[in-house]
Amino acid sequence: MKVRMKNILVWLSLLVLCGTATGEPFVQGGAIGSQTDDGYNALGPVVEQPIEFPHNTHAGQMGINCMYCHTYARRSAVSGIPRLDKCMGCHKLIESVKDKPRIKKLFEYWEKKEPIPWKKVHDLPDFVRFNHERHIQRFYFREDRPVREVCGYCHGDVASMTTARRVKALSMGWCVSCHQKDHLENAATTKTSNGPNDCWQCHK
Amino acid sequence: MSLSNLIKNWSSLRVKRPYEDQYKDKDYKWAMVIDLDACTGCNACTTACYAENNLPVVGREAFSKGQAMHWLRIERYWGEGEHMDKFPDHGAQFLPMMCQQCESAPCEVVCPVGATHHTPDGLNSQVYNRCIGSRYCSANCPYKVRYFNWWQYPERAWPNPLEQQLNPDVTVRSKGVMEKCTFCVQRLTEAKNRARTEGRRVADGEVTTACAQACPTSAITFGNLADDKSQVARIWERQQIKLASDKQEKDENLRGYRIFEELRTYPSVVYLERVRDSEA
Ligand code: HEC
Ligand code: HEC
Ligand code: HEC
Ligand code: HEC
Ligand code: HEC
Repeated sequence: MKVRMKNILVWLSLLVLCGTATGEPFVQGGAIGSQTDDGYNALGPVVEQPIEFPHNTHAGQMGINCMYCHTYARRSAVSGIPRLDKCMGCHKLIESVKDKPRIKKLFEYWEKKEPIPWKKVHDLPDFVRFNHERHIQRFYFREDRPVREVCGYCHGDVASMTTARRVKALSMGWCVSCHQKDHLENAATTKTSNGPNDCWQCHK
Repeated sequence: MSLSNLIKNWSSLRVKRPYEDQYKDKDYKWAMVIDLDACTGCNACTTACYAENNLPVVGREAFSKGQAMHWLRIERYWGEGEHMDKFPDHGAQFLPMMCQQCESAPCEVVCPVGATHHTPDGLNSQVYNRCIGSRYCSANCPYKVRYFNWWQYPERAWPNPLEQQLNPDVTVRSKGVMEKCTFCVQRLTEAKNRARTEGRRVADGEVTTACAQACPTSAITFGNLADDKSQVARIWERQQIKLASDKQEKDENLRGYRIFEELRTYPSVVYLERVRDSEA
C-alpha cells in the first residue's frame, strides 16, 4: 500500500510538471496579431527611445559589427549599450547629417555632458539568470557563425530595424526548446551537445 | 521542459542514492569541511551569509516565533555530566549548521511541484519562482535548515536606501516561498562561466562561499570534491569519509563525521569533531 501511494505521488507530481512542460511551441499571451515568425504570440511593444537610433543604417547599410557597439556581449552577462562618446567618435566628423534633428539632439546630450537615457527593450524577470557570454562564445567563436545570425536567434534581424524591438518570445519554453536541440560543440567537429536543462542555470 | 526530457533525466533529478565514487567522473561536486575545533562561534559566517544572499533581518518578535531566515545558524551545545561539572567555564560548543546539500535529499522527493532538484554538480537547488509554499520539504528535512517566508520581508528589511545593498545575482524572495543555503551558487556559476570561456575546470581556491571567506579562523573549507587535488577532497580522504557510504569504516581516532549519516541522506558537509583537553 505504501509503495502504491508513493507511485501515485510520483505520477501526480509528474502530471503537475507536464502541465507546464508539454505543448510546444509555448504560445505566450502576447497581444492578438503579434505573431512572431517562429509562431509565438509574443511581439514586444514599441519602445519610445530618446533618439530614434537607426540600426538599419549603422548595422545594415554600413555593416558595423554589432559587437563594436555592444562590446560586452562576448565577455559578460550583459551586452551593454554604447557610451555617448562612441557615437561622437564618428558623428563629430560626419558633416552630411550634422544638421539633422536627431544628430542635433545627440550633440545636445554631449554638450550637457549627460548620457542618453535609453530604455530597456528586452527585459527578463529578475528571477532569471541569462548570460550573453556563453551564447556568443558558443555560436560566434566556437561554431564560427556570422554575428548578425547569432544575435538574430534571440533578437531577430535588428539590422533591418531602426530602434530595437522584441520579436522573440524569450519565454521559458522558447529558451528550453533551443537548449534541447543538438548544437555543434565547435565548427571543426560533428560532436554535439545541448544547452543546460538544469533549473539553476537559468533561475537564481 | 518536455516530458521525454523529464523522464530521460528523471534519475538525475531524483537521486535515490549515490553510487561509489560516481561523482569523480563529473566535473564538479561541491563539498565542505567545517573544523569545529577552529570555530569560535563568532557568527562572522552568518553575517556574511546575510549580506551575500539577501537574507532579511526579521526582528525580535518574528525571531522568537522561530521565523528567522538565517540560512547558516550557529548552534550552541552545552556539555553535560561530569565534564561540565568539572569545567563549567568551558562554556558552549558551537556548530555552524546550514543545508548539507544531501546527495539523496529528503526534501527533493516530497516537493509536489518539483521546485527543488538535484543539480549535476551535486547541489540541492531551490527554484523560488516554482515554489508554491507547501513546506513539505522543510517538514522532511532532518537538519531543519529550510526557511519559509511567512511575511513579505523586503520592504521591511531593506527600507530605502538599504535596498541598494542587495546582491543583484540573487533573487529577492517574496512571501510564501521556501529558501535555504545554496552554497553561494551565484559565485559558483560565475566561476564556472569564467573557467568555461578559458576552456578549463574551476581551480581549487578560485571560488569559495561567503561563510568560508569571512571565517576568521578558516574553520570552513569549501571546494570541488571531484577534483582529487582540492583541499576538501584531500581532507575527506584523510578523514576516510566516503560520500556514498552511510556508515563510515574509518579509524576511530579521526575527527571527521557527517551529521545524521545513518538517515542515508549522504550529506556533502563533513564536520571535524572538537578536541577537548579534559585536563585544561
Ligand atoms: C562608425 C561610425 C558611426 C558610429 C559609431 C555611430 N554612427 Fe550614427 N551614423 C553614421 C553614419 C555614417 C550615418 C549616416 C550618414 C548618412 O546617412 O549619410 C549615421 C547616421 C545616424 C543617424 C541618422 C541621422 C539622420 O537623421 O539621417 C542617427 C540618429 C545616428 N547616426 C545616431 C547615432 C548614435 C546614437 C550613435 C551611438 C550609439 C551613432 N550614431 C554611432 C556613423 C556612425
Ligand atoms: C540566446 C539568446 C541571445 C543571444 C544569442 C543574444 N542575446 Fe542579447 N539579450 C538576450 C536576452 C534574453 C536579453 C535580456 C536580458 C535581461 O533582461 O536580463 C538580451 C539583452 C540584450 C541587450 C540589452 C542590454 C543587456 O545586455 O541586458 C543588448 C544590447 C543585446 N542583448 C545585444 C545583443 C547582441 C549585440 C547580440 C549578438 C552579439 C546578442 N544580444 C545575442 C538574449 C540574447
Ligand atoms: C552604432 C552602434 C550600434 C550598432 C552597430 C548596433 N547597435 Fe544595437 N543598439 C545601439 C543603441 C544606441 C541601442 C539603444 C536604442 C535601442 O534600444 O534601439 C541599441 C539597442 C539594441 C538592442 C535592444 C537593447 C535592449 O534594451 O533590449 C538590441 C537587441 C541590439 N541593439 C542588438 C543589436 C544587433 C543584433 C546589432 C548588429 C546587427 C546591433 N545592435 C548593432 C547601438 C548599436
Ligand atoms: C540558439 C539556441 C539558444 C537559445 C535561443 C537560448 N540558448 Fe541558452 N544556451 C544555448 C547553448 C548551446 C548553451 C551552451 C553554451 C556553452 O556553454 O557551450 C547555452 C547556455 C546557456 C546558459 C549558460 C549556463 C552556464 O553554463 O553558465 C544559460 C544561463 C542560458 N543558456 C540561458 C538561456 C536563456 C534564459 C535563454 C532564453 C532567453 C536561452 N538560454 C536561449 C543555446 C541557446
Ligand atoms: C533555459 C533556461 C531555463 C531553464 C533550464 C528553466 N527555466 Fe524556468 N524560466 C526561464 C525563463 C526565461 C523564464 C521567464 C519567462 C517569462 O518571462 O515569461 C522562466 C520562468 C519560469 C517560471 C514562471 C515564473 C512566473 O512567475 O511566471 C517557473 C515556475 C519556472 N521558470 C520554473 C522552472 C523550473 C522548475 C525549472 C527546472 C525544471 C526551470 N524553470 C528551468 C528559463 C528557464
